[in-house]
Amino acid sequence: MTTETMTDQRTVTLEVFRYHPDTDSEPSFQSYEVPYREEWVVLDALNWLKDEVDGTLSYRWSCRMGVCGSCGTMVNGYPRLTCNAFLREFLPGPIRVEPLRGFPVERDMVTVLDDFMEKLTDVKPYIIREEEQSLDEGEYRQSPSQLADYKQFSMCINCTLCYAACPVYEHEDDFLGPAVLALAQRYNLDSRDQGNEQRQQLIWADEGIWDCTFVGECSEVCPKDVDPAAAIQQAKVDATNNFFISFLPFTPPGMGR
Amino acid sequence: MRPSNEPFWWAMFGAGGMITALLLPVLIILTGFVVPAGGVDFNQLDTLFNNPLVRLIILGVAFLSFFHAAHRIRHTLKDLGLRSVATPLAVLCYAAALAGTIWAALVVL
Amino acid sequence: MPGPLPRAKSNVWWNRGWPYRVFLLRELSAVAVAVYIVLLLVLVSQVREGRGAFNDHLDLLESPLFWIIHAVILGFAQLHTSTWFRAVPKSMRVKLGGRVVPPEAMIFGMYALWVGASLVVLAAFLVEW
Repeated sequence: MTTETMTDQRTVTLEVFRYHPDTDSEPSFQSYEVPYREEWVVLDALNWLKDEVDGTLSYRWSCRMGVCGSCGTMVNGYPRLTCNAFLREFLPGPIRVEPLRGFPVERDMVTVLDDFMEKLTDVKPYIIREEEQSLDEGEYRQSPSQLADYKQFSMCINCTLCYAACPVYEHEDDFLGPAVLALAQRYNLDSRDQGNEQRQQLIWADEGIWDCTFVGECSEVCPKDVDPAAAIQQAKVDATNNFFISFLPFTPPGMGR
Repeated sequence: MRPSNEPFWWAMFGAGGMITALLLPVLIILTGFVVPAGGVDFNQLDTLFNNPLVRLIILGVAFLSFFHAAHRIRHTLKDLGLRSVATPLAVLCYAAALAGTIWAALVVL
Repeated sequence: MPGPLPRAKSNVWWNRGWPYRVFLLRELSAVAVAVYIVLLLVLVSQVREGRGAFNDHLDLLESPLFWIIHAVILGFAQLHTSTWFRAVPKSMRVKLGGRVVPPEAMIFGMYALWVGASLVVLAAFLVEW
């Protein structure tokens, strides 16, 4: 494509997934012509459609700057945040906009997140202390190296793009999935946390890390470079070490947790 | 939730994956192309494959490779839609690997 | 009222794009690994049987069919090796003096190990001992 056709293009076609739970028995695609602007993202186009053409169009969004994690959508078959997917990436179009794969669909691009939310709370994604340190003892201190152990995994914004990229989650209803396992690992690796054992039962089960076959696409689609695939493989190594150590009559130094 | 016995199989998958990643390309070039082209004579192979240490290494490589392959094939078939028969599939894959290992032991004995 | 659309599942997920196709090929390399170990064991067994059995086996190995089989297996083995080495830093976080070893350095280390192992195997086959 030449730059000339790119600048000449005034509109771009959006093929939008439509489904209304009260009236539709089947989803369908509807095509819209949307003004093309160099600086517009897919979310801008959807907002224009909702304001100017069809007020019934439903989709989630909030911050418009890649931190809230609400606007995850399939754009041309690939999980993206619509707020950082520029129209110019998809010229000359058409641009196909669908709800994230792997989830039930409430309406249009709005997915049902109940399963994800339940699994997320199940792994207790917060700091667990056996005993709280009293206030006069001061804050829980952490070295830069201890922070680095989990920092990458703490960047998750729960956008669920990784779930849409995961064929295992698509097929295995009980699989905890990439973001939940990465967040469990994030707290397990936090030097202030003592909740390892409470999470282990869940994440070391077949439905936890062991359903993962390391497709690796979760890490590719992540807009925050969390690398859930790495979190899961590292948890597999931990679980495996623990499995074999549990047969030893003693705990080797540095291995007890 | 049941505790998983997957670490046991995964450990063998990992060890076999590492050993095959390191050794297979060069072995395939040697036994698939260099040997048929006459690049290694019989006496060399005879000495090599009758050496006790080499025989032990071949048995170890065969054992880990078979279990690596069994584990991977098992999970791939599951991913391709055989979830409803996951348990018999696992039994079949690991039994095949065990049979292969026993055969390998008979070959190098 | 139909309500929410249930989760869509597809058994041809692997055909959704190149990353998924490569993933499937990577996993299928296990078949090539198993087939090759069988071929290797047959060779070992024929050599240990004696010169006659080895020469018969050599006739088979020289055929174009076995050449093609080995070429395909080699392709899969190479895919296995490169994807495996790339996966190593994902599974293991190695810290040296409080700093994480960069993934590139670990992958380089794996290839160095690979070259070393290959040289040892080459020597075992090609150097008289």
